[in-house]
Amino acid sequence: MTVKKFLLTFTPENVSEPVTYRLVKEFDIMINILRAEVDEKGGRLMIAMEGSGLQIDRAVKFLESSGVNVQELKEFVRKDDKRCTDCGMCVSICPVSAFQVEKGTWKVTFLNERCIACGMCVDACPPGAIRLRAQV
Amino acid sequence: MRRTYEEINKKIKKGDAVVLTAEEVIDVVERDGIEKATKEVDIVTTGTFGAMCSSGAFINFGHSEPPIKMAKVWLNDVPAYTGIAAVDAYIGATELREDGDMSYGGAHVIEDLIARKPVRLRATAYGTDCYPRKEIDTYISLSTVNQAYMYNPRNAYQNYGVATNSSEKTLFTYMGKLLPKYGNATYSSAGQLSPLLNDPHLRTVGIGTRIFLGGAQGYVAWEGTQYKTSPPERNGVPTGSARNLAVVGDLREMSPEFIRALVFNKYGTTLGVGIGVPIPILDEEMMKCVSIKDSEIFAPVLDYSVQSRDRQAIREVSYSELRSGGIEVGGKKVRTSSLSSYSKARLIAETLKKSVQEGRFLLTEPVARLPEERTMNLLDLHSREEVA
Repeated sequence: MTVKKFLLTFTPENVSEPVTYRLVKEFDIMINILRAEVDEKGGRLMIAMEGSGLQIDRAVKFLESSGVNVQELKEFVRKDDKRCTDCGMCVSICPVSAFQVEKGTWKVTFLNERCIACGMCVDACPPGAIRLRAQV
Repeated sequence: MRRTYEEINKKIKKGDAVVLTAEEVIDVVERDGIEKATKEVDIVTTGTFGAMCSSGAFINFGHSEPPIKMAKVWLNDVPAYTGIAAVDAYIGATELREDGDMSYGGAHVIEDLIARKPVRLRATAYGTDCYPRKEIDTYISLSTVNQAYMYNPRNAYQNYGVATNSSEKTLFTYMGKLLPKYGNATYSSAGQLSPLLNDPHLRTVGIGTRIFLGGAQGYVAWEGTQYKTSPPERNGVPTGSARNLAVVGDLREMSPEFIRALVFNKYGTTLGVGIGVPIPILDEEMMKCVSIKDSEIFAPVLDYSVQSRDRQAIREVSYSELRSGGIEVGGKKVRTSSLSSYSKARLIAETLKKSVQEGRFLLTEPVARLPEERTMNLLDLHSREEVA
């Protein structure tokens, strides 16, 4: 089982398609909706898909054939380790504990695979060491 | 067993001084006891790196041709105070640009100067017979200005409150982003490594004490603003913000590693300052002081949704609880964040230790002691007659 994060972009024409339902029902993918918004330009949906590599590949092909733009998010935020002072402000802000204080060294590390792209850490970081890599 | 400053400095000059950090000494005292540890150790170094709002720098720009008596000064568009002599100015860490942008302030100007970056200087003046020039717009750097030194009216607080938020909305404070309904708690002391917690009654830290300041050798200038001795003590150290220091040091000797501009969203800018103080082990009492550990130091948990100067403590927590990652508040496990960097505090204590071991940093006996008793006055509204 792997978990991959995607940003799906919908046009005004296909924004009303119930794609998440079909991903669950037809492709047996476990979906976690991280963010969603709809406006006059269409819609953007950020999701984490959990399934086998093959299942996820098939699901992505289905989405693309439905006219949805699919972009895999490998890195949503990046911590600049030179700018970071290792204070730890981000640690209690992150809802999924993607930032951790290493016992012993007291350095703050970022676990990218845990990140759910909420962005709450970005404006909480006093030295401005955390930057957005992808925009929703 | 007693030691004098002269004996300690003689050992430092010979390269024989035994120096430990305030973290290392804890284990030594636990293993060998106070008496033996006092005999063996000459100096204990401390360190802290945290947000210290009451910080800034005096700059003397040098005189222009023709000369100007600056009436308004901006550095990278951040106003500096210049109601002193012609080309003297003070740039404060929390001063912001006038356009409401909170992402760049005086702290950034100071960091840029220390990082040897060019800074735009603009000044206006009304012009006098002795200072005819009315404006100037140019670039300066740390190497072009005549003098630049940091003077921080309040640094290195001895302990500080823990901030949390009981309200329904996120609060943006100088203690960071506080999530609703006790969503998190933030604290800001290096605890067992913190300078003034290792000499709680300031026996050895006073006016003239040589310290590590932002990478430079600086000095204690005075008591810090809002210095107070009134908070109750537990295990010999105050359980809340008590004493602090006004410090001074040359910007040209500082390093961006130990001076860092910080932004607290929707609060403003502040300066991350690194300070280290060497504590001479004059006798067993001093050794007892420096052996204090996180589990013995307590801080009050304060609800920052109470918009008052009189916040009552919800409870007291120890620094070992705070550092465990979570504390209990109102029956709920609340995740904690430190605002001061323990890893940098340790680096400062170790850097200072090395400087002492290598004979580059000598200890000083205070020229005068800081107040042994001091309470804090408050700002209340009064008529002229009431204050006369």
